[in-house]
Amino acid sequence: MSGGGMAMTASRGAWGRGVAVLGVLAVLALAALLPFALQDVFHQRIAALVLLAAISASAWNLIGGYAGQVSIGHAVFFGVGAYSALLGYTLFEWPPIAGAPFGILISLVFATIIGLPTFRLRGHYFSMATIAAAELVRILVVNWPLVGGAVGLMGPAVPRSTLDLSFTSPRPYYWTFLGTLTALLLVTHWMSRSRMGFYLRAIKGQERAARSLGVPVQRYKYYALLLSAGFTSLAGSLYALMVGFVDPDSGFGILISVRMVIITALGGVGTLFGPLAGAVILVPLEEWTNATFGGAGTGITYVVYGFVIMLISRFAPGGLAELWRRLQAAGRRHAA
Amino acid sequence: MLLEARGIVKAFGSFRAVDGADFHLAEGEIVGLIGPNGAGKSTFFNCLAGELQPTSGRILFRGRDITRAPPEAHARLGLARTWQVPAVFEEMTVRENVMVGAFLRHGHRQEAMRRADEMLAFTGLSPLAASRAGSLGTPARKRLEIARALATEPELLLLDEALAGLTPAEVQAAIELVRRIHARGITLVIVEHVMEVILTLAQRAVVFHQGRVIAEGAPRAVVEDPAVIEAYLGHSLRRRSARA
Amino acid sequence: MILAQLVLNGLLVGAVYALFSSGLTLIWGMMNVVNFAHGDFVMLAMYVAFFAATLLGWGPAAFVPVAAMALFLLGVLVYLMLVRHVMRGPMLAQILSTFGLALVLRYAALWAFSANFVSLPEDLTGQVVTLGGLRFEPSRVLAGIAALLVTLGLHLLLTRTALGSRLLAVAEDRTAAMLVGIRPDPMQALAWGIGAACTGIAGGLIALFFYVAPSVGESLVLIAFVVVCLGGFGSVPGALVAGLAIGVIESLSAFWVGAAFKDVVVYALFLGALWFRPQGLLGKA
Repeated sequence: MSGGGMAMTASRGAWGRGVAVLGVLAVLALAALLPFALQDVFHQRIAALVLLAAISASAWNLIGGYAGQVSIGHAVFFGVGAYSALLGYTLFEWPPIAGAPFGILISLVFATIIGLPTFRLRGHYFSMATIAAAELVRILVVNWPLVGGAVGLMGPAVPRSTLDLSFTSPRPYYWTFLGTLTALLLVTHWMSRSRMGFYLRAIKGQERAARSLGVPVQRYKYYALLLSAGFTSLAGSLYALMVGFVDPDSGFGILISVRMVIITALGGVGTLFGPLAGAVILVPLEEWTNATFGGAGTGITYVVYGFVIMLISRFAPGGLAELWRRLQAAGRRHAA
Repeated sequence: MLLEARGIVKAFGSFRAVDGADFHLAEGEIVGLIGPNGAGKSTFFNCLAGELQPTSGRILFRGRDITRAPPEAHARLGLARTWQVPAVFEEMTVRENVMVGAFLRHGHRQEAMRRADEMLAFTGLSPLAASRAGSLGTPARKRLEIARALATEPELLLLDEALAGLTPAEVQAAIELVRRIHARGITLVIVEHVMEVILTLAQRAVVFHQGRVIAEGAPRAVVEDPAVIEAYLGHSLRRRSARA
Repeated sequence: MILAQLVLNGLLVGAVYALFSSGLTLIWGMMNVVNFAHGDFVMLAMYVAFFAATLLGWGPAAFVPVAAMALFLLGVLVYLMLVRHVMRGPMLAQILSTFGLALVLRYAALWAFSANFVSLPEDLTGQVVTLGGLRFEPSRVLAGIAALLVTLGLHLLLTRTALGSRLLAVAEDRTAAMLVGIRPDPMQALAWGIGAACTGIAGGLIALFFYVAPSVGESLVLIAFVVVCLGGFGSVPGALVAGLAIGVIESLSAFWVGAAFKDVVVYALFLGALWFRPQGLLGKA
């Protein structure tokens, strides 16, 4: 290519990037203004819950989507985050948010215990280890009065200061979650464009070939898990902040793990906005189901989730993102 | 001595795929590993590449014992390989595939991209740089395998039947590419069935049969060795009589 | 004496664990697919037993074979409609497929049968016999011995019959098996059927002495994982030894650390095994 031609391609690339950045900022601004458009507290709360679900799902996406290592016990990290926040308050009268860094630390330790031995074995072992870990911790917590036992833990009933981050309106939570999600997605985006991102995709694609190119497979899977565990723990802490309560099931239960998986799988694993798309669809749907069918709804919801997961695995493992790509490709073939 | 293998045995249960093979390689050589099907050359190749661990024996790279070293370590030390059935990263573009290789030596994206583009130009894949690797046909895939392995800046490149399944024209282009790789100072070990390639490219041929090296030397001489002919012909004679 | 009693009970339960874990190891060994719904298969079999016993008044001689057949069909169906299509795809699809199935089975059972624990009529298998100071509960003894026999039968089927060698050939090397004329697809479907039938028999047997509820699948599948991991992936004899061992460990743990924590001991053992001996007690790495 001639020098002039390359310069033109480069500047077109820079221009394209500039447009993309402006687009993202515009969407972000709109998202920030959304709570003002929603008059109802109920709707504001759902919007906040959507973002919270998107955070945990995006965190799961790091290990399950980008690295292709399917965790079905990720609640273990979520629960640690939620419990750490409320334990800090219950035991030491800290503002709940102060417990979050400890939650992250503990989650990183758990990630090491789970990931280090299993990443040198076949993929199934990791998945099995995640359920075992989540169940193990759940049972321990149920039987440990110090951390609330089966009853669980509560946050400050009345906020003592702003630091308690205990608001009556969902709006401040919405904005906190929006900020956290934005940070997480920025980290994810940066990671996917870095060597780590390339290595993870290679591992996911052809692990043997990746190894022969010098990719330290175990190490990078482990890094992805650490990143994922840390952010999932943070999501748990944020959940505890907003809801003000956690018990063994809402912290470590299998349904928490399932939700992360199906939200990401539906939207598209390994894509940046897949988890958010999945959350936007599923969270309001789940709230509606619960409101309409009450308790019975829970059972049916998860039967449906199970079916959706099976269908996704069978027909479109890449979720909606994959379907979208297929549509685009079909469209191009028609135009040609 | 760049690479040395002594007394390599690889057993699967009671079956010895490689039964005491020695091998040596000097810097700058092009050596061909040949032999009939099931002779153990692929197994031996994979032992050299670190994919399989020999049951016994030692492999030394620049005097350093790499017998038990994993494939990742091989690549880092400068030993790269391609795969008989191309294992390209289907969902990534051609350029991204090569970048995975380049990242071994260059941690930053821009630098890795630059090196990848260099390799793409060297192997003639530049026009396909932005195409999804999964959309490529076999000849392009084999070329991509080579470009990707070259991006790890190896001293020694192990090619596993890189020219199998190509048309005569494609074989010529591939031979030319291998020559250019050699001209850059890279030592090559080539496993091949296509005899013409060995005769044209290899300076030395090593013949495997039933897990052992039965002949070694200049390709033209080796091909006329009665033991070698017996190994191949006996093989095909036995096949023909089995079919009859 | 308490120790002997605990060990006895542990062995009897362990035999049942070995049985359904053998099914899992057969499937996993053959086609590298882990059935995350395995525990829920057992759960379904337990409900078959429950309904057969309470609605039809059947005894185990009747409902265990029925459960076996029902689960056999389910296994084959799951293979044909789901597993066969995701087997050669990405790991994500494989794991999600049986995991999704587990959710469907578990929550459909929850919806249909409610979360209540139910149990089979007490007197199905006769009175307790005390021998040499040890209590022999007929339900447990029947379950344990039957499970042991079936597991051994499975091992013999795999190693001594022509059918078994065809199954093992496909497990060993699918392509080579095809080359000698064995069609892998029916063999794999059969493996799923047999693996599921193991859960059918095991479920029918467990229901004799254990409560029935939609949630039992969750812990049973983890037990199966531990057993298969300790016994060595793909090994039925390994699953037998490991199953018996886990049964005993669980029994002793329930006594020493309390029933609430016995599962914790097993799961911790699993994680420990992954750290220190992933190839299992008998397997090669």
